[in-house]
Amino acid sequence: MGGVAWSKEEDDLLKRCVERYGEGKWHRIPVLAGLNRCRKSCRLRWLNYLCPNIKRGSYAEDEVDLIIKLHSLLGNKWSLIAGRLPGRTANDVKNYWNCHLSKKLVNARQTEHQASINVENPPNIAAATGSTKHRKSDHVSPNNQSKTEEKTIMWMPLHDVDVDQWCQDLANGEDSHPGVEDLADGLTAAATNHQFGQFDEGGSSNKWDWDDSIFDMDLWT
Amino acid sequence: MENSSQESHLRSDNSVTYESPYTVYAMAVSSTPSPTNLSHQSIALGSFLEDYSNRVDIISFDPDTVSVKTHPTLSFDHPYPPTKLMFQPNRKSSSSSSSSDILASSGDYLRLWEVRESSIEPLSVLNNSKTSEFCAPLTSFDWNDVEPKRIGTSSIDTTCTIWDIEKGVVETQLIAHDKEVYDIAWGEARVFASVSADGSVRIFDLRDKEHSTIIYESPQPDTPLLRLAWNKQDLKYMATIQMDSNKVVILDIRSPTMPVAELERHQASVNAITWSPQSSKHICSAGDDTQALIWELPTVAGPNGIDPLCVYSAGAEINQLQWSAAQPDWIAIAFSNKMQFLKV
Repeated sequence: MGGVAWSKEEDDLLKRCVERYGEGKWHRIPVLAGLNRCRKSCRLRWLNYLCPNIKRGSYAEDEVDLIIKLHSLLGNKWSLIAGRLPGRTANDVKNYWNCHLSKKLVNARQTEHQASINVENPPNIAAATGSTKHRKSDHVSPNNQSKTEEKTIMWMPLHDVDVDQWCQDLANGEDSHPGVEDLADGLTAAATNHQFGQFDEGGSSNKWDWDDSIFDMDLWT
Repeated sequence: MENSSQESHLRSDNSVTYESPYTVYAMAVSSTPSPTNLSHQSIALGSFLEDYSNRVDIISFDPDTVSVKTHPTLSFDHPYPPTKLMFQPNRKSSSSSSSSDILASSGDYLRLWEVRESSIEPLSVLNNSKTSEFCAPLTSFDWNDVEPKRIGTSSIDTTCTIWDIEKGVVETQLIAHDKEVYDIAWGEARVFASVSADGSVRIFDLRDKEHSTIIYESPQPDTPLLRLAWNKQDLKYMATIQMDSNKVVILDIRSPTMPVAELERHQASVNAITWSPQSSKHICSAGDDTQALIWELPTVAGPNGIDPLCVYSAGAEINQLQWSAAQPDWIAIAFSNKMQFLKV
C-alpha cells in the first residue's frame, strides 16, 4: 500500500483532537489538529488504531472460534463478522484471518476432503448428496425439518372426513365426531361464555363448512 | 386423490378451487387488480418440486363469479422452489404508467419480475455475494409497505439483508441471530422483526443497527420458531409458531417474553398464520391437521383458553395461507396441489 506511516506525534495530535472535538465532521479534523493528512486518512487511523475501544491483545479462543464459524457461513464479509466481535475492527479481523487462519484451514479442509474421497462408503455418499439436495428444501417446509431424513411425499391425502355431518354436529353442539371433540366442546362452551358476546350458534341450514351464521354478522367494523 | 364428495359441499359462491399440475407452496395475492381485467385479482402460485426447475404461475380470481382463470402465458421458470412470493404492496392502480405489477420471489436469491398483460419479464436478480462460492438460500422476505423500495430478506446464514430495490443495492446486512433465520416481517418503515432456529423473536431498528430487542424466546431452548406475522392493524401484536407445535403464540411487543395468548386448538403442527388485513383482533391459522381456523382475540381470555370463531377443513395438510387486503372477504389456502379461495 502507498502512504507514509503515522508518526507518534501525528497520532498524539489526532488523538487529542478527536477526544476534544468528538468523532464526525472529519473534514475539519486535519485543520483543527494541524495535521497534513486528508480527512479520510484521519478517520481510518482513528477507527482502526487510535480509538480506545479497540482490543489489542491476541485473539482469545472463543474469538477465533467465532471468526472461523462466521467465515464459513458468510465468507469474506469482514464488517459483518467484526460486528460480532466487540473491540475488533473489520480490518483487524481480516488481517488476522489472512495471516493466521486461512492457510491452516484451507489445508485442513483439503486433507478432510482427501480423506473422505479415499474412504469407500457408498451409502454415506448417497446420504450426503441426498441431504445436500434436501438442504435447500429444508427451510422451505418448516414442519418437515429433519436434516438427515429422505423426504418422499410431502403431503399425504387424508382419510375421508364426513365433513357435512361434522358441521351439522358442530352447529348443533354435539360432539359425535371423535376427532373433534375439543372443538365442538370449545364452540359450545364459547357460546355460553359471556365474554365472547355475540355468539349465534345458528344450526339452521348449516351445510357449509364455514359457520356462516357467525360470519353473517359484521365482525369487522 | 380427488375427494369429490367433499368438493360438493363447497357451495359455488363460497369457494373456488384451482388444481395445479404440481404441489403448491408459495402463494401471493396481488394488492392491485389484474391488468387484464380490473375486477379480477391476480394470484401467483409457486411450485414445490424437489428439483432445480420449478414454476410460478399466475391465475386470476373473479370474486363476482367466484371463478379462477388460468393464463398460460403468465408463467415462468424459477430455480428451486420459491420460498415466498409477494406482489408489490399498495401500488396505486390506474394513474401512473404501467399496466404491470411487480412480483418478488425468494429462493437462492431475491428476484423481481414484471407481470404484464400477457407476459412476465425478469427484472432483476439481487445477489449480495461477490464470489460465486457463497450463496445462502433465502428462507423468506417481506416487502415494506410504508417504504416500497425496501425489501428485507432472511437467510439460513443467520443474516437479514435489507435491499433498496430501486437502486438494486444492499442498504444493510446484519447478523440477526445465532442460527438460521426463518422469517422476517416489517413493522414500520425502519423497524423489522425476525424469527430463527435459535428460538427467538428479535426486533431491529435500522436507526440503531448495533442493538436488537428479544421479545420472546421459545420455552425449550433452541426450539426453532418458523413463522412470524406482525399485525399491521395494531403494531403492538405479533404472532409466531414454533416448529412441530400446534400452538399459535400471540405476543405483545410491550411485554417481552410473556405471550399474551397461546391459541391451542389445532390438532397437529401449525404451518401458516396471517392476521386479518382489516380487523386488528382477527387472525387465521392453518396446519397439518388440515384445518384453517379463524380466531378473534378477546380483551380478556376465558379460563380454558381461546376458541376459534370458525373452522374450515380442507382435504389435506394446509401449507399456505394468504388473507389479502385487496380481497378481505376471501382467504386463500394451498394444500397439496390445490389452491382454494374461501369466502369469509
